Amino acid sequence: MDASVSTVQGGRSVLERSPLHRLPDRVLQWGLSALAAGVLVLIGYFFIRLIGQSSTAFGHIGFFNFFVRNNWDVSQLQDGAACTTASNAGCTFGAWALLLGTVITSAIALIIGVPVAIATALFVTELCPRRFRGPLALLVDLLAAVPSVVYGLWGVFVLIPHLKPFQQFLADTFSFLPFVGGTVAGPSYFIAGLILAIMILPIVSAISREVISTVPSEHKEAALALGATRWEMIRIAVLPYSRAGITGGAMLGLGRAIGETIAVVLVIGNSPKLGEQIFSQGYTLSAVIANEFGEAASTPVYRSALFAAGLVLFVLTLLVNIIARRYVVRATGGKRMAADVVVPEAPAGAAA
Amino acid sequence: MTELAPISSRRRRSDVVMRGLLGVATIVALVPLVLVIYWLLHEGLSAWSKDFFTTDPNGNFLGYPGGIRSAILGTIEIVALATLISVPIGIGVALYLTEYGKDSKFANVVRYFVDVMTGVPSIVFGLFIYIVLVLARTGGSTFAAWKGSIALALLMLPIVVRSSEVVLLLVPGSLREAALALGAPRWRVVTRVVLPTSLSGLVTGALLAVARGAGETAPLLFTVAFAQGLTGNLNQSMNSLPIQIYNDIQSPRAEVVTRAWGAALTLVVMILLLNLIARAASRRSRLG
Amino acid sequence: MGRRSTRDYGAHLMKEKILRKRQITATAVAIGAALVVAACGSSNSSSSSSAPAPGGSSSSSSSSSGGSGTISGAGSTFAAPIYMQWGSTLKGQGLTVNYNAVGSGAGVAQLQSATVDFAGSDPAMKPDEVKAAKGPVAQFPIGFGAITVSYNLSGVKSGIKLDGKTLGDIFLGKVKKWNDPEITALNPGLSLPSTAITVVHRSDSSGTTKAFTTFLSAYNPAWTAAAGMPDKIVKWPVGTGAKGNSGVAAAIKQTAGGIGYVEQAYALQNGFTYASVKNSSGKFIAPTLAAASAAAEGIKVPPDLTISTINSPNPAAYPITSQTFVITYKDMCKAGIAQGAASGVKKFLDYGLSSAGQGVEKQLFYASLPASLLSKAQAQLKTLTCNGSPLQ
Repeated sequence: MDASVSTVQGGRSVLERSPLHRLPDRVLQWGLSALAAGVLVLIGYFFIRLIGQSSTAFGHIGFFNFFVRNNWDVSQLQDGAACTTASNAGCTFGAWALLLGTVITSAIALIIGVPVAIATALFVTELCPRRFRGPLALLVDLLAAVPSVVYGLWGVFVLIPHLKPFQQFLADTFSFLPFVGGTVAGPSYFIAGLILAIMILPIVSAISREVISTVPSEHKEAALALGATRWEMIRIAVLPYSRAGITGGAMLGLGRAIGETIAVVLVIGNSPKLGEQIFSQGYTLSAVIANEFGEAASTPVYRSALFAAGLVLFVLTLLVNIIARRYVVRATGGKRMAADVVVPEAPAGAAA
Repeated sequence: MTELAPISSRRRRSDVVMRGLLGVATIVALVPLVLVIYWLLHEGLSAWSKDFFTTDPNGNFLGYPGGIRSAILGTIEIVALATLISVPIGIGVALYLTEYGKDSKFANVVRYFVDVMTGVPSIVFGLFIYIVLVLARTGGSTFAAWKGSIALALLMLPIVVRSSEVVLLLVPGSLREAALALGAPRWRVVTRVVLPTSLSGLVTGALLAVARGAGETAPLLFTVAFAQGLTGNLNQSMNSLPIQIYNDIQSPRAEVVTRAWGAALTLVVMILLLNLIARAASRRSRLG
Repeated sequence: MGRRSTRDYGAHLMKEKILRKRQITATAVAIGAALVVAACGSSNSSSSSSAPAPGGSSSSSSSSSGGSGTISGAGSTFAAPIYMQWGSTLKGQGLTVNYNAVGSGAGVAQLQSATVDFAGSDPAMKPDEVKAAKGPVAQFPIGFGAITVSYNLSGVKSGIKLDGKTLGDIFLGKVKKWNDPEITALNPGLSLPSTAITVVHRSDSSGTTKAFTTFLSAYNPAWTAAAGMPDKIVKWPVGTGAKGNSGVAAAIKQTAGGIGYVEQAYALQNGFTYASVKNSSGKFIAPTLAAASAAAEGIKVPPDLTISTINSPNPAAYPITSQTFVITYKDMCKAGIAQGAASGVKKFLDYGLSSAGQGVEKQLFYASLPASLLSKAQAQLKTLTCNGSPLQ
């Protein structure tokens, strides 16, 4: 490659084109570079605007208070009144309950989704007959092709009514655990977490598959040759080798769960009060933004509070993704993975 | 040859149990897919009729609530514009990465941010456009279809870039070298050799991005909002399938909820078709 | 010369090495499909933009519409059925009404920024809300509706008796089961199941919420202490939030043991069972058209017509009856609304305040304005101007 470049560009050759003939080349090169730079600049610009728009709310309640106060209570908002630290008078947009809602639902999603995703990846790559691998992987990936609003629809009309007795059973049976118990209404952190688990499953599974497939076959063969059973081979050779990558995959799933909006807003119950247990109704950052931006439009500080919630989502997912990428890149030896399962058959897969 | 010691029954049992568990987990993972498809067909097919596809939602409080014509066409309009924006830019960035930037520092920075962009929640893209274009009333409108297209384009862009880059890298270096050695300028190599060679792969990536964009609700909520009627004016609110479904879910009327199922089935069928075409295209490109 | 040979060689390479003919066809088909999709979108857009929305509503939810035949409004979901019905009549007369039922709070917000031509709001705009708008506003009461306390309790018919105190305790989460002594004490002889109560409330900024919480506050001080003063958004102690009257109705329908507050039209639309509520004279009144009409009699009417019918003193009145307003600018043109749209709003209100428009309300089980209030509203309508000159 490089050699060919130097043949054309290097030295003074009789074949060298006149500057006029080289112009299109320059234009293309600089045009494409500018395009790439433009995309970065645009994202940076959006980020700065988002910070700018959020500053009103942070100024109102205080940057720190936004995260730790538990009073997302718009009725308390008095125009122009500053938020005194001593009392909550005239003061609102403490997003603690929303932040916690996001954390709780994402945590439930990870607890349910990740083990299933890893098991699926192990089964597909290590256990199932070769000719079923492709179709099986495709089916799991298809879960990512279902739009979130369709998961929401299904959640509202199928999952919530059908799982209500199950939720109540769990609440009653495990009421000795903290944050479990009480009367189940239907929509809850748990249902939202369950739907999120389904939604992150294909991502975590796809990345785990990718990572597991990089385990050198020598390792696996060595384990088998030493008399290990299939499961022991997985435990000894596969899992330790791919731990970092799977961790990264799970984190990419976490990023997805944190930011998911539409499916969550439909099944979380939209209660601004922090739920007492995982089967009560709650709220998440993304759900509040989706629900309230209509009436917030003309109240600058209210609007700004929603942008602040968006900023928190953005920064959180950014951090999670950056960390996740480190793990995945390390695990796959520089192979690039990101939080999109390009469904169903990634060109990335085609390249492999 | 000495006999190997047989595997102890405890180990054999745990092997069987764990293999069984992994198999069961795989089945569990597929249960939601089966259930979602079952319910979509069960509830959605009964909504499908000629009227369903040829009338617009009418907002009537009682009586027939109307169909989803404007939602289907609105989605096509919005996503088509988003594709026209994101695919050329995405392929352009990918070309920069493979043909010019290569392993330079800047190219790696671009790659890094493109990857990170895939993890940004779609609602955030909606907020970006809401701040920059809706609040600012760019173009004299508040909510408008073209603003939604831009939000979707932002979302689709990293998918296009990543898939295009992979495909462009598949073009054999010998091909480029051959063309260059024959005296072709670089831009001709790009337009006459690299792009045509990787065309089917590029189409695959574009189609996958379209499939992803078509199903997104949150960005449209902040940028396009909702309108019942059919409109071709991209500087206005417009109906779209995801928003139509989102609104209909929150209705108490059985007819409207049925419409939501029918619209959801329509949307999923559209997305699956796009995926299948993309898959077929990528198969072809692998044969090459 | 050099160029040509490059092209030839390139073509040769392609044929030989990479692209088989079959593949080119496949690609062409795929691209063709993509183009068809794109073309569908664009051809559709060009055809329908040249012919302004054939037979359909080219509705813009919040962009202020310049075209003469179209007006846009947003707000109250409580009164949305009325505006939809008026709109479908007026469409026959060449006026398209795009009403976005987003809740009174969002409607007022959109009027304040003049992104809509009129707002639907159940409570009148407060002075400080008017101050934030782009000019003085005119508020037209257009009708009344009973806010039913609807419930989803299998085997129990309409007519559970509830008072403000008990309702407050239910919405506070103090009363948790349907057979709680507080409820059974009001309903001697009625056997109620032990089903858990699930409260459903509005998640958006809502006039219906303000009316309902005004009622709760009047009878249950503990309610006010926990949830704050009556407003369009309050601090709900328990329950599931849902968007709009229709969202609450949907949630009630989906939740066994659910209880929530929805306008009567929504309760009737969905065949809900609802409670009889104790009014200020101590009588349990079922939400009916007559009881809602009664609420409008004997109330104070201030000069700007910003009435409130909650807790009407009339003994025959249903206590949770809310008025609803169409609010627009006294001078719409000065607020940035096009003259055509201003005339459209005038036409819309002309119809709404006519006997035909008021008759529509009765069909939807809303109470129409009493004659004295109607004539005052009609008189106010004549004062609307565009840049200082009266609107036709």
